Amino acid sequence: MKYVNAVLCLILFTSLACSGDTNDIQNDIPDAGGAQPVEESIWLIDKRLVVDGGPGKDGIPALTNPETISAESIAYLQDQDLVIGITNGTNQIAVPHKILDWHEIINMDNFGTTLAIVYCPLTGTGIGWNTTINGQTTTFGVSGLLYKNNIIPYDRATDSNWSQLELQCVNGELTGTIPETTVFPELTWGLWKKLFPDSRVVSTNTGFSRQYSIYPYGDYKSNNDRFIYPIPPLTNNIPSKERVYTIYSGDKAKVYRFQNFENGKIIKDAFDGKDYILIGNSEFIVSFELNETNKELDFSYEFNNTEVIMKDEQNNVWSIFGKAVSGPKKGQFLKTSHTAMMGYYFSVESFYPDAEFYN
Amino acid sequence: MYKFLFLVTVLVSSSFGLFAQTCCSGGIPISNSIGLPIENQGSWQFSLSYDYNNLNTLNSGSDRLDDDSRLRITQSLLFNTGYTITDNLSVELLLTYVNQKREISQFGNVNTDETYGIGDGVLLFKYNINQLFSSNSTLRIGAGPKIPIGATDLTNDAGILLNADLQPGSGAWDLIMWSSYLHSFSFRPSGTFSLTALYRYTGTNNKYFNNTTTYTFGNEFQGFINYTDQFVLFKTLINPGLSLKYRWAGKDEIGESTLESTGGKWVTIVPSLDVRISKKLLFISKAEIPVYNYVEGTQLTPTFRFTVGLFLTLSKKKNELLNLNKQI
Repeated sequence: MKYVNAVLCLILFTSLACSGDTNDIQNDIPDAGGAQPVEESIWLIDKRLVVDGGPGKDGIPALTNPETISAESIAYLQDQDLVIGITNGTNQIAVPHKILDWHEIINMDNFGTTLAIVYCPLTGTGIGWNTTINGQTTTFGVSGLLYKNNIIPYDRATDSNWSQLELQCVNGELTGTIPETTVFPELTWGLWKKLFPDSRVVSTNTGFSRQYSIYPYGDYKSNNDRFIYPIPPLTNNIPSKERVYTIYSGDKAKVYRFQNFENGKIIKDAFDGKDYILIGNSEFIVSFELNETNKELDFSYEFNNTEVIMKDEQNNVWSIFGKAVSGPKKGQFLKTSHTAMMGYYFSVESFYPDAEFYN
Repeated sequence: MYKFLFLVTVLVSSSFGLFAQTCCSGGIPISNSIGLPIENQGSWQFSLSYDYNNLNTLNSGSDRLDDDSRLRITQSLLFNTGYTITDNLSVELLLTYVNQKREISQFGNVNTDETYGIGDGVLLFKYNINQLFSSNSTLRIGAGPKIPIGATDLTNDAGILLNADLQPGSGAWDLIMWSSYLHSFSFRPSGTFSLTALYRYTGTNNKYFNNTTTYTFGNEFQGFINYTDQFVLFKTLINPGLSLKYRWAGKDEIGESTLESTGGKWVTIVPSLDVRISKKLLFISKAEIPVYNYVEGTQLTPTFRFTVGLFLTLSKKKNELLNLNKQI
């Protein structure tokens, strides 16, 4: 009989137990200004493809106004390391991938505008978002969620979730809101310091204890077969981790490859009703939106390892940030508020399977 | 000599070629909780214990990072029952109930994800080889499956699938190989020296992430060097013990790719104290104190851990009380 009792105890133990899960988000957000609870049921994207990446919300800590130091004092970067360059029109800051790999988002309101640099190490895509939304300035944080291997930032004003490559808010109070974007050049540290030797660089003194010299994803960026979450088979014969430059417009995308810019080249192209000029070589690709005034101008490639990358027929000399550094239009800027990013090819096809290719 | 080689072969082979349900070592302490002693034929054993594992130490490799913003707490209720079929053959079943919490305290906010539910179970068959080297030594070997009865598809309140290491189950059948060599001393019959090795060869969850990919936790090895003894204190029989534990876990795999920041090596000291409440009932307790942690990439690593419980033996024969050789 005692054995029967033991078995009954065992059955009771297992029957009492059931699986469950809870998610308790206690937000006491300094800049929330009265944060609203996230609308959990409505997602503009397929929720089944949204996954918890592991570290949890804010487990990857975004930075705000990080310390910068002079380019000449940088010791933690190698020439081949990639940096994203930002400018306030006068000064430049290099934001190394080595920092972004560990923080993914850098909020800045001390460099001319209110800006979040949103970078996803898994898709290799980086872009600037204006952090003033509907008249309210906020900051972005890392939600810890991924959609198709791509970062889902959240804004700290409303706790809404955004998709970097869907280029909109996909869940929460701001669902459907399109971020104002700024395009940045991405180049190697070796080239950047030649172009902007007097620039500042985000330092490793971020306030967080991380080993910035270590890439946290092993051989991910060079292994074309390695993904964190599965992707559908690619339809084009392009290595999945090839860095390509893509202009995005609504639900359309157009891909430009480094091979399109061999030996240095300028491409004027029309895409989705807008005119663009792309300038590149084997080390960088940048793009600017052309308006009615300058779209008829002839541009020529003029790159000699300074910030100057092209000239136009009116003798205006343009920098990599689209600033006329000399000529009649000196001080003026070409438009950089379109949406374009360097990134791993697979991410383009995952999000924009009908993307066009520049031939 | 052949006996020694046999012992080494068994202990080592149960350690190679063949479990880390624990990105960040926060998983259910299945491997820690098996290996009930083989009693007399017809004996039943029951153990009910509570295990608390706190992970608040962020490491990069073996370097501790100055960051305590991440906290993982795993609390497990472990029910273990064993039956001795013959004097040399026994079987045991481990069932688990687990609560896992991930808490991020950053920027003035606290974000918590928490799951609870039945974890995976283990069925282990064990065999005694007595008097391997002398009348004072015993080798026990065992093997069995880890049975995937725990959920692997729990979501947060927003309906987002939680990470594999927050799930109560692994979704995979694993093979566990276990061996333990015990030696008592003629000059100190109440003392027992033992070596224990365990290898968990992990299977694959083929239904991970809405059936779109697979997930395999890294294989795991655990080795223990233990010494336990027996004393009478305040008219109560107590069993203090001390173990040195080494644990290795391979990297997890998702699809065909290994996952960075999973796996590692850990060395801990495990003091234990058991108090005999009655001839049949034993109060058991142990703690794990980290000595050396090496994690792959950047991971949380255990800060402290303890287990308390009760152990009941229902034997047809009278307990001798010496050399109880309970589970480690």
